[in-house]
Amino acid sequence: MVEENILVDPFGWGVLILIGTSLLLTYRVLFGPTLADRVVGLNTITTKLVVIIAILAALRREFMLIDLAIVLLMVNTVGALIIAKYLERRGKND
Amino acid sequence: MSRRTLYLRQRLETIKERTLFEINVSQELPNWEKIVITWVALFIFWIVISGNTRTENIIMGAIATLITASFMKDLLTDDIRYRGHLIEKILSFAFLHAPQYIFIMIFRLIESNFKVAKHALLMDINPGIVKIKTNLHSDTGITILANSITLTPGTLTIDVDKKLGEAYLYVHWIDVKTLNRDKAGEMIKGDLEEWLKKIFW
Amino acid sequence: MIEYLLLTLGVLIMIFGAIGILRFPDVYTRLHAATKCDTGGAMNILLALAISIEAPLLTKLKLLVLAFLIALINPMISHAIARGAYKSGIKPQTPVVDMYAWDNP
Repeated sequence: MVEENILVDPFGWGVLILIGTSLLLTYRVLFGPTLADRVVGLNTITTKLVVIIAILAALRREFMLIDLAIVLLMVNTVGALIIAKYLERRGKND
Repeated sequence: MSRRTLYLRQRLETIKERTLFEINVSQELPNWEKIVITWVALFIFWIVISGNTRTENIIMGAIATLITASFMKDLLTDDIRYRGHLIEKILSFAFLHAPQYIFIMIFRLIESNFKVAKHALLMDINPGIVKIKTNLHSDTGITILANSITLTPGTLTIDVDKKLGEAYLYVHWIDVKTLNRDKAGEMIKGDLEEWLKKIFW
Repeated sequence: MIEYLLLTLGVLIMIFGAIGILRFPDVYTRLHAATKCDTGGAMNILLALAISIEAPLLTKLKLLVLAFLIALINPMISHAIARGAYKSGIKPQTPVVDMYAWDNP
């Protein structure tokens, strides 16, 4: 039995608060002074997104979405490592 | 005379470190133990990720992970130095060492979260980058030590400097208390290094 | 009951991490807030989820594997970003001591 309204569960309110903190962090992504600040903000938002996907998969009882959360975490890892390497080499060439 | 005894003592310590290094290098695991340890880890990962327990799935996973483990045996277990039989190794890691490490790290993690909350509210920060020395030599041990230092309260590993036989860590400390290298290392590492020295070299 | 306690703790840790990222002065201190609070909050919430859902055992174990991967990957990314930021020329603001600049001029 799947509820349509997710806010009857405390985990639904948790999802709502996590979306609120992600919107707060959008300030750091948009107006961060350097590129590294933007990467930190994006990385944090993606980790919160992984948690949100896991909670929604458990609430809607579609457990295959947890695999999707794992894949999103790994893709985020590769992206952040590539941007870190880019930062390092850009400093060397200047 | 005092200078000569000092020189002799330094020379003796150098020889002792060299001997320890040679013993550690000569104590690698045999090949079949490497393959079996990698196989056990990969097989547990296969069962948890694939998520069904039908018989043909388990047989297929055993064959696939055995082939993968025979190729990738050096990747995970190259730095393990731990005497004893194979079953003793696996059982003591699963029931003695890993719960000890998790028990240490959970309280450190919660303490560091509260400390970050306190720093974010009060802004009483005093940052600096210090350099500490570790007694570990292998790549896997230094990686696990650096990740654990990042999760312990108030510290963040920036870079690793690895010379021949010695390894140094550069640590960003949010509230610098001392500049002495030994005291700083003792305050930052805590008892994690003794735990890691039981398994890695 | 304990799962709602863990959920509240995790959400509070996430909120304080966001406040820390917004208020700290430079990249390295922001990385402190990002790494620790993200890892702690995500592990708390996933543990609460693994306790509370009615599902087969392997699904709960999959949530624990997700928590383990977060704890493994997040410090590694923070180390890579800190090193890249230092090599690209961002100096820490108002440091007491900077031994990394002594050795790498």
